[in-house]
Amino acid sequence: MTSVAPTAPILAEIEAHQRRARQRFRAQSASVWVVLIGGLGIALWATGNINADFIGTWGPFIVEGAWITILLSVTSIIFATGLAILGAIGRLSDNAFINGAASLYVSLVRGTPLLVQIFFVYYALPQFGVALPSIPAGIIALSFNYGAYMTEIFRAGIQAVPRGQREAAESLGMPERLVMRRIVLPQAFRIVIPAIGNDFVAMIKDSALVSTIAVQELLWRASKIGTRHFRTLETLLIAAVVYWLLTIVFSYFQEKLERRMAQGDR
Amino acid sequence: MLNLRRRAPLLLAAGALVLASCTSTANVPAVVCVGAATTYLDWLNGDFEPDSPADITEPSDTTGDLLEIVRDRGELIVSTDPNYAPQSFLEPDGDFVGFDIDVATEIADRLGVGITFETPDWDAITAGSWSERWDISVGSMTITTPRKEILSFTRPYYFTPAYLAASTRSGVTKTSDLPFTLPTGAEATTLTTDANCAEAIESGRTEFDLWISSGTTIDGAIAAGSPMVKIGEPIFQENLAVAIDKSGPPHAALLFEIDKIIGEMHADGTLRAMSEEWFDGEDLTTDPSS
Repeated sequence: MTSVAPTAPILAEIEAHQRRARQRFRAQSASVWVVLIGGLGIALWATGNINADFIGTWGPFIVEGAWITILLSVTSIIFATGLAILGAIGRLSDNAFINGAASLYVSLVRGTPLLVQIFFVYYALPQFGVALPSIPAGIIALSFNYGAYMTEIFRAGIQAVPRGQREAAESLGMPERLVMRRIVLPQAFRIVIPAIGNDFVAMIKDSALVSTIAVQELLWRASKIGTRHFRTLETLLIAAVVYWLLTIVFSYFQEKLERRMAQGDR
Repeated sequence: MLNLRRRAPLLLAAGALVLASCTSTANVPAVVCVGAATTYLDWLNGDFEPDSPADITEPSDTTGDLLEIVRDRGELIVSTDPNYAPQSFLEPDGDFVGFDIDVATEIADRLGVGITFETPDWDAITAGSWSERWDISVGSMTITTPRKEILSFTRPYYFTPAYLAASTRSGVTKTSDLPFTLPTGAEATTLTTDANCAEAIESGRTEFDLWISSGTTIDGAIAAGSPMVKIGEPIFQENLAVAIDKSGPPHAALLFEIDKIIGEMHADGTLRAMSEEWFDGEDLTTDPSS
């Protein structure tokens, strides 16, 4: 068998061909987006049900609700990350009490609907004397919920740190807590950051549920204004487009982050 | 697997059923839409018990009273449902406006404090247990016997007639057009708030063609373009008052102060002017039963 080593020009040609094919594919897929969105827009417009004046008047007020949506999502993801670290350490703990408590937290939260948790924090906690205003109540419910889902992410992240790292640190005489803080968690963090970004994008959408406890975010504004002026089509469209743009923007950053984090693994 | 020929009769039957159910909506369905936790729902269910406020006396001791809490805070927190035009609704800049908003602002002014609004759902307001999230409701609440058990009421600040409204597509224009008698012949369906009923009819939903709400709210919906008409005579009168949660801190002094302010606002014509401004020149501030 004689293997024929391809000459450099042929290789370059093949690469160029593949690049062109990729670019063509991307351009085609992008034009499908443009055509579909344009078509959808024109179709909606053609129904004559879209009132441009109304959108001009009320659009800004509804869109401003996005700041509250972002505030809720950012604050909640920070608290959720804290809860998730504690939860993951608990889930991996050798102490049966801590382990049991952490797994009960995860099971309880993952086994009940987010909407029930939101109502519980807002309507039921006051019976124990804890009456939270709507925004803090929403943040607590969202953090609590996402903390449980992210506990599993962090647990997997911690377990994915090679055992040798921990053993090496221990053999240098590092105490267990320090090993966790200095060696394991920083590496686990790098592994889970893309997943946190993913959850953040999901959180933006789930934050719409707190409109039910009078938080004046995007959906609350859209539904109140829509009902009052009988223009729910416009207001829900505005809300949907804003949610969509928010997730597109944050997904873009999340993908960049993911690529950057992956570079370290090479 | 999917033998269409054998299933054809089944499909035809299903199609006929769908058609039949569509054509049956040409008649007025015996369903009336009302807001959740409203007196209109009580009336349809036959348990509407209108009432008047309990006697209000000035307390000798005001320490720890909600009045002091409000004055220390320098701000009165008022609950409002901004989906209840012309009593309370939103402006494009996010401000609340309307009759209830003006009345609440005037009360806060005369108490010498500022004002902020909370926007819980209506059924959360009438249910009591406000957990001190807001101090008072200036939300056109009818005084009823069951509500008096959990809320304290001032004297009424205005009075509205409750009306039946029908969608224009139903063809109903007077009470005798209805193929059933109210309230016993119809069943109630509830949506979160009164305005949702008008919205559902306007958007073309066909589960119901009838709506009971305050005459002012129905006028507001018609003015906003909802295809419906007001039917017949007022069903009943509502005396609408400021409410305070009984499960909160002691509030005898605040109740007394606000009740006094409402009396003054009746006497000096403030309330009448506000009513005429928001209700098309109508004065709804005199008790029709007196």
